[in-house]
Amino acid sequence: MLHPGDTMTSEERLQAVINLQVPDRVPSCPFIYYFSAFYAGISVHELWSQPGKYRLAMDRCYRDLGPWDVYYPVNPLRPELYTFIMPMKAKWPGIDLPPDSICQLLEEEIMKAEDYRWISELAQRIPKLTYIPFFMRMISRAWDDIGEDPRGYAFILSRLVAHLANWRYEFELMKKRGVTTLYGFLPEAAFDTFSLARGFLEFARDLKKRPEEIAAAADDLTEGYLFICRLVCFLMGIKRIEIFVHRSSTDFISPETFRKLSLPSLKALVEKLVAAGIAPILHCDGNWDMNLEALRELPAGHCVIQFDGPTDIFLAKQVIGDRVCIMGDVPSDILALGSPMEVDEYCHRLIEEVGRGGGYIMGAGCEIPPNARAENVKAMLDSVTKYGYYDREG
Amino acid sequence: MSEKIAALIAAVEEDMTLEEVRKALGDGADPLSLVEALREGMAVVGDKYEAREYFLPDLILSAEIFKESIALIEPHLQSGNTTTKGAVVIGTVHGDIHDIGKNIVATMLKCNGYDVHDLGVDVPPQVFVEKASSTQAGLVAMSGLLTLAFDAMKDTVDALAEAGLRDKAKVIIGGGPVNEKVLEYCGADAFGKDPAEAVRLANRYLA
Repeated sequence: MLHPGDTMTSEERLQAVINLQVPDRVPSCPFIYYFSAFYAGISVHELWSQPGKYRLAMDRCYRDLGPWDVYYPVNPLRPELYTFIMPMKAKWPGIDLPPDSICQLLEEEIMKAEDYRWISELAQRIPKLTYIPFFMRMISRAWDDIGEDPRGYAFILSRLVAHLANWRYEFELMKKRGVTTLYGFLPEAAFDTFSLARGFLEFARDLKKRPEEIAAAADDLTEGYLFICRLVCFLMGIKRIEIFVHRSSTDFISPETFRKLSLPSLKALVEKLVAAGIAPILHCDGNWDMNLEALRELPAGHCVIQFDGPTDIFLAKQVIGDRVCIMGDVPSDILALGSPMEVDEYCHRLIEEVGRGGGYIMGAGCEIPPNARAENVKAMLDSVTKYGYYDREG
Repeated sequence: MSEKIAALIAAVEEDMTLEEVRKALGDGADPLSLVEALREGMAVVGDKYEAREYFLPDLILSAEIFKESIALIEPHLQSGNTTTKGAVVIGTVHGDIHDIGKNIVATMLKCNGYDVHDLGVDVPPQVFVEKASSTQAGLVAMSGLLTLAFDAMKDTVDALAEAGLRDKAKVIIGGGPVNEKVLEYCGADAFGKDPAEAVRLANRYLA
C-alpha cells in the first residue's frame, strides 16, 4: 500500500473508479513530462533522448513530490513516434530548438485532401491493417528522411517495438513501487488526427467542402484502430487505452459538427474497445461544456474522461458523472502561478464535488506545466490523502 | 454588388466571394466600397461567432477569404487613400510558435480598420519594442498558448516599460491559458478570450 490509510492497491483503486465504484480513496495520476526535466535540472533534450535520464527525473519527482497512484506515460523513445499521437511536423529541443525548450508543433498540411478517399479504399482492402499504413504516410511527410517504403516501415516498426519494450520495463519499475500504469497505448482519435494532419485552415475548408469524406474516412479507420489497440494491450499487459481528442471541443468545432463528424467514429471505437474488455481513457482538451450531453452516449461504467482546464469539471460531474469516471483538472495557471494554499483549496473542492460517490481521479488539466511550482504539484498530490479517503459506511 | 459580397463572406463562401470580388473589380467597382463590404461581412461573422452560431472553422476560413479578397483588391487601391484607426503590433511571444489564434486576431483587427504589424511567432521582447517604437503603435497584442509564454509576456511588458513605451502603448494578451491571474503576473492592461474581445479592446484603447 502507498499510504498507511490505504486498503486497496493502486490498480484496484483505479479499476474501482473506472467502474464508478467507491474506492478507499481518490487515486492520483499526474501527467508529468516536461516538468520532470525542469524539476530535476536536466535539459528537455536529455529528457527525450536519454531514457535513463528520463527515469531519473521521474524518480526524483516521485520521491520528492509523490507518491502517486497511477503512472501517466507520454515519453516517446524516438521523436518520430510522437507523430503517431500528434501527426504534425514538429520542432524538437536539441534538434531544431534550444535544448531547454519544449517540443512545438507546426500547423502545416501533411495530409492531403485526397487521402480521405485513400483511407476508405485502404479500408476496403485491409480493414484491420489501416492504422500503420496511414500513419506511415503521415510520418513520411512529417520527417524528410523517412520514406513510405519498406526501409521506412522497418525503421518505424523497429522503433515502435523498442519503445514498447522500454515502456514495459518502466511499467515494471513502477509496479514494484506499487504504482499502476494508466494505459499501454495512446492513439489520437481519427477525426482529430485529420484536423491536426491537414492543418486547421485546410481542415476548415474540408468541413465545408467534403464533410462526408471526413466522416467516412474516420469511420473506416475504426477497425484498424481497434486491431492495433488490441494488439498493443496484449503486448503491454494493460487493458486500457488513452484516446487523445485534441480538436473536437467547442474551441475548435461546433457541437453539431462534433455530433455529426467526430462522435460517430469515436463512439464506435470506444464501444468496440469496451466490448473487447479494454477501458478507453479520453483525453479531452479544450472546452466540452456544450458536448457533455453527447458524451452520455458512451458506454456507462467503462470509460475515463480527462478534462482540460476550460471545461467546467463540476458541471461535467453533474451531467455525465453517472456514466464515466472523470479525471482532472487542476488548471495550469494555478500550478504555475498560484500558491500551495490555492492548489489545496481547488483540490479539496474537486474531491468534495467531483469525487463524491467515486468515479474520480485527481490530476492536472492536461499536463502539469513545465514551469509549475514544485510545492504546488506536491499540494495537488497530497490532497488525495488529506481529503480523499471515503467513508465506506456512508 | 457590395451587398452580395458582404453576404457571401458572412456565409463563409470562399469560392463565390472571390468570384464576386473579381467580377466587381472587372466591372470597375470602387475598390474601397468592396473593402467596406468585406468588413461588413466579417462583422457579421464576428457577431455569429460571439453568439456561438459560428465556431473556429468559420472564423479562420472567413479570415482567409478576407485576406484573399484584399490581395485581389489591393492592386486597384491608390496608395494613401485608406485611413486607419491606429497602429497595432501583434505577435506570438518568444518561445512559442502557435499562431492560429494570433493570425485570426490580426485579420480581425485589419478588418476593423487597424494598421496591423504582425511580427509572426517566437518574437523576442526587443523586436516588439522596436516595432512598437518605429510604428508609434498605440496597442501591442501578445499571444501565447504555452504556460511558458507567461514569462515571455512579462519580459516583453518589462522591456516596453524600460524603453519608455508603456505610457504610449496599451498591452493586451490572449491565448488558451491566459486569464486574470496571468494578466496580473505579466503586467499587461487587459486580456481577451477570443478575437471579438481583442477587437473590442482595440476599439476601447485606440478608436
